[in-house]
This record gives sequence, C-alpha cells and structure tokens, in this order.
Amino acid sequence: MDPRFNFPEDREARSAARARALEALLIEKGVITAGSVDTVLSFFETKMGPFNGAKIVARAWTDPAFKARLVADTPAAIAELDLPAGMAGAEGEHMRAVANGEGVHNLIICTLCSCYPWPVLGLPPYWYKDPTFRSRAAREPRAVLNEFGLAVPPDVEIKVWDSSAQIRWFVVPERPAGTDGLDEGQLAALVTPEAMMGVAVAKAA
Amino acid sequence: MKLQHYLGGLEGLGPVSVETRVFVEPWETRIFGIHTAMMALSSQLPLPATPSTFHTVWTWADLRKGAESLNPFDYFKFRYYEKWLGGICGYFIANGYITEEELEAKTREYYSDPGKPLPEAGSAAIDARIVQYLVEGDSPKRDVAFTHDFAVGDTVEIRNVPSVEHTRLPGFLRGHSGEVETVYPGAYTYLCDTGADGIGTPMPVYCVKFDPAALWPGNAEPNFTLYADLYAAYLAAPAEADVAAAA
Repeated sequence: MDPRFNFPEDREARSAARARALEALLIEKGVITAGSVDTVLSFFETKMGPFNGAKIVARAWTDPAFKARLVADTPAAIAELDLPAGMAGAEGEHMRAVANGEGVHNLIICTLCSCYPWPVLGLPPYWYKDPTFRSRAAREPRAVLNEFGLAVPPDVEIKVWDSSAQIRWFVVPERPAGTDGLDEGQLAALVTPEAMMGVAVAKAA
Repeated sequence: MKLQHYLGGLEGLGPVSVETRVFVEPWETRIFGIHTAMMALSSQLPLPATPSTFHTVWTWADLRKGAESLNPFDYFKFRYYEKWLGGICGYFIANGYITEEELEAKTREYYSDPGKPLPEAGSAAIDARIVQYLVEGDSPKRDVAFTHDFAVGDTVEIRNVPSVEHTRLPGFLRGHSGEVETVYPGAYTYLCDTGADGIGTPMPVYCVKFDPAALWPGNAEPNFTLYADLYAAYLAAPAEADVAAAA
C-alpha cells in the first residue's frame, strides 16, 4: 500500500498461506477448534457491531431524556435497550459516550493502539488504525477531518478524546435536519461508524 | 524512547487513510479470529476450563508489546494485521506450541494449495468459552481500597516515567500539565505489570484535559482540546513533580 517500501509481489498470498498454516497447526495441536475463528467472526456479524451503536444513537435522537442518561452513565443507559447479550462484554466493559451539540464536535482517537468499543461499534475500520491518522488527529484534527470531507467551522470547538486507559469512547452525532418523519429504525440506518467516532456527521438519506 | 509511544503529533506524514473497511484481505479475518480466541482461552481468566491445550497468558498487552518492540520503520511499513500475524506466529513459536520449521512447511503447503481444507477437530467447550469471554468481557475494575489524590479541576503534571517495553502513557503528554476533567469511580488494574512504567496494580484513572497550544506551542490548530485517560501512576501534583525534577 505504501509505495515507499518494497514488498514482495506475492505479499498477500504469503500472508494468507501463513495465516492458514497457523490456524491449521493450532487446530491440530488442540489450541483452538476448526470452528473457533468462525465462532468469533460470526459473533461480530450478528451480536457485536455498529448496528447496536446505530440503535443507541437513534434512541438518543428520539428521546432526549435517554440521551442525557446515555452521556451521564453510558453502560446503564445502554442496558435499558433490547440489545444482544454482551453490551458490557469484551472491549465494552467501561464505555463512555460524548454528544456533539451546539458549538462542540467530538473525535475519538487512540494514539497508542486501536482501542475501540466492540459491543456497540464492532471492529475498528482501517482509517482508525492508521498511524498517520493517530499521529495527526492529536495535533491538527481540522485538517484531518477535512481529508474525510468534513469541514468543522472555526467557531466549533473540537474535543479529541485519546483512549489510553479503560474507557472505550463513542460519539453521539447530531440528528440531521429533515428527518422529522422517520422512525427509530429509519434513523438508525443514517448512523455510520464514522459518525460514531467523529470523522463524519450523520446525514439525511 | 520508542516512536510507537510518541505517535501523537508526529509531523510530515502526508494524508490520512480514509479506508472504511475493517479487513482489506480475507486472510486478515483469520488472524483476528485467532487473536480473539487466544484472549478468550488465556490462562488468567476466571472462565471454565476447556480441553484446549492453550496454557499461557495472551492479552492485548502481549499484542501491543510486540507492536511497540518493532523497528519503527517496520511499524509504518506493515499493515495492521500484518503486524498481528507476525506477533502471534512469534508468540506460538516462542512459547513452544509450534516450531518455525513446521510453520514454514505448512505455509508452503497452503501457498501451493490455498484451497486445501483446514483440519476438522475440537471440542465445543472451547468455542463456548470464546463466546462467554466476548459476552462477559474482562473488566479491569477491582474492588480494593484506594484513594483519589485528585479532584475535578485540579492541575496535574504528567510524570516522565522510565520508558520500558510497554506503556499506556502517550509520550507527547510527558512533562506537560493538564486539568482533571473526570475522576472515574473505582480502581483499575492493567493487563500486565508494566514494571518501572508503573501500572498493573489497581489504581484510580483520571480523564485529563490538555491545551494543544501548550503541547505543541505555535504549531497546534486553534479551538480544540485534547483529553486523555490516564492511570494515577502517570500523574503528580505540580509541586511533587517539581521536587522530583530538582532532586
């Protein structure tokens, strides 16, 4: 991907073979089962993922009292909703939501690694794990957000939250204009992982 | 000093990636799944015993140590899951689960025949524990006695602790002052003892607010604020830090 470095032409084929060889050896030696990796992947397709976060945000948009509770005590508010078991599970044991609003835009980063709130957002996209993003967002968030196509006005304060301890953060974006007639399911469809980490805002369809 | 500890604020890097996919190659899903299974089967967790032969500790701290120990050029050269693949293969070899030779031999087999099926084996109890780990998690919060030395609004100075193999202190904050924004209730352990770095035993954690103009004088964007969650071991009262510096 980075033309600065030389990579073998069969870079991906080598990694694919090595990953498969490792999985095969671990199954043969009884470390994991033939189904372990698929068990994990299936969990992230059906139980832990951004589909949960989208429902949480949609509820916050339709119920201001819930939104206030979500920001004040994130795990307790999430526990009110009918979501899959595990919303305080792996990488979601201690979550904290911050809400965008008048004059404030929030951006979540992890300069040391890639801490991400698994239960509500699933797994981090590549942009979040990119060392360049992690470096630059800490010093020039507006320039970075511009590269994502998001222009934050100069009079809006950007709050950048660096996830360096136990908390896993996410953003409650603002409800877009022109969505008055939509129900919670339709609203949830407007909420992207990028909006819930602060490199985008929610937009009406 | 490890560059990986000091990424925040680094200049001259060019445009960010706006790739929204989680995995960009199918093989990446497999190494992610192996890592997560290892975390679930790790020996320190209070979960039911299974027939798995995994008998050692594997946590995020182990994965992070690997990434932090890389040559910094390699850190930028290799894609996220390439680093995972290297670190996890190295762990299984170093801990005697597999040998480099058998991994190489098996890699050649799958390289020449990518469609060759995986072996069929394993106990359902192993996969049940993986799901249990995902659902229950592994909270670092501990029910122990502790004292909060700081309150919301207090000024704190960030210690310049010894730089060792692993840390949760972003390097760009060392030596700077911030203001406590949140005092998190309770005390929190870390996945491993980081030694002279100072975390591992249960301690308070604070969210601390920093002024970017003080972190990068003359070189930070206006009208933004940076917050970081920091273990108490990384914080000192201003006078205390001055005394330590003068000693």
